[in-house]
Amino acid sequence: MSSKLSEHIRQMPSRRDPPYRPAMTIDKEEAAELDKKLGDAANYDIGLLREMVNADPDNIEFRKALVSGIASAEYAGIDAFSRKVCEWQDWEVPNSLIMAMARQTWDEVRHARLATGVLESYGGKIGEYPDTLAGGAAGAAPSSTQGGGHAHGNGQQANGGATPQAAMQEPISMLSAVNVSLEGGALLLFKGTSELGAKIGDPLMERCFDYNWADEVTHTAIGDYFVKLLAEDDPEAEKRALRIHAMSEYGRTRLDEQQTEELKEFFADEMERATAALAGGGYAGQGAQDTSDDAASGG
Amino acid sequence: MLPVVEIDIGPCINCSLCRRACPTEAINYFSTGKRTHVVDKELCIGCDICVKVCPMDCIDQDMEYKPDPVKLESAKVKARAFAKRQRGVRVARRERAQRAKEKVHA
Repeated sequence: MSSKLSEHIRQMPSRRDPPYRPAMTIDKEEAAELDKKLGDAANYDIGLLREMVNADPDNIEFRKALVSGIASAEYAGIDAFSRKVCEWQDWEVPNSLIMAMARQTWDEVRHARLATGVLESYGGKIGEYPDTLAGGAAGAAPSSTQGGGHAHGNGQQANGGATPQAAMQEPISMLSAVNVSLEGGALLLFKGTSELGAKIGDPLMERCFDYNWADEVTHTAIGDYFVKLLAEDDPEAEKRALRIHAMSEYGRTRLDEQQTEELKEFFADEMERATAALAGGGYAGQGAQDTSDDAASGG
Repeated sequence: MLPVVEIDIGPCINCSLCRRACPTEAINYFSTGKRTHVVDKELCIGCDICVKVCPMDCIDQDMEYKPDPVKLESAKVKARAFAKRQRGVRVARRERAQRAKEKVHA
């Protein structure tokens, strides 16, 4: 049976002041405003914005957009990890994992405060740009999709994993996807942004993101440590962790346009099924094959 | 000839930066079946890129390993192709950033 605390948290929507405003939901007026500020609304992309700041260091709007995009993810991190502090008390996990999530929540609070400070140094504020990530919506899934019942051990919960959404709440999967894969990948973002700050003579940007980088190394280590601990002597759990890591990376490598043969091989079956599904949907022929190949190779 | 590398899996946190940076895809993770990053030494060209990106300093040179010259040459060909693709991505991104700069200043 779920605890009252986790039930209560699941019912609570993700909130922030000013309210979250996901980039995908902005209206035409705001898109036109972004066109004006960034040359194109589609340029509101953290990877590209770093290159834009590098190309035009005097353009303060580019810096505001870059730091806003990163800060948005930090606020979402506060929401997501603080939910885990409550929700994972329903699972049979060591108390040290709950405490690690609490520590991580406070780390994200510091990151959000630091990024907000950098943004304010440019004359910007939170909410001026839309959110790249908005709240811990995944953690706020309706209780009907959550597993109930008593804990079973090794990060397991009765009926947990009944739906893909519920499966993502499970500690091993979530730690592997978010702490190890996502935060591990974010190490490059923070390192690169800190180096960019040094290059353009912006010490606040340089030091803020160097600080964040150091914390992200710890967060990745926390995730790796607990996945190892929870999946110890459980090869199925270890395979599940690997698979969820691959899925998390798969989504991002397409964005990063990187080639990963190993990942492509890992998802060979999925690609075959996707190709068959595309063919079944009337997208037969070489085009369907190209689509699945492109997805794997980052095209 | 540069020595190949090996990963000390003790301190490794599986962040995957080395694997994603490797120009010859010599570092395996998903295919190992376990949560461990392992270098396929036959594919390693000793470029040291993985050593530079590792946040845990857990990648070292293996001075003992003697590479097969034929396999090493083939790995270098793969690395050149990778570098060319990466350069293409970087150039495209730089051009797009330049266009954004020109557009807002127009």
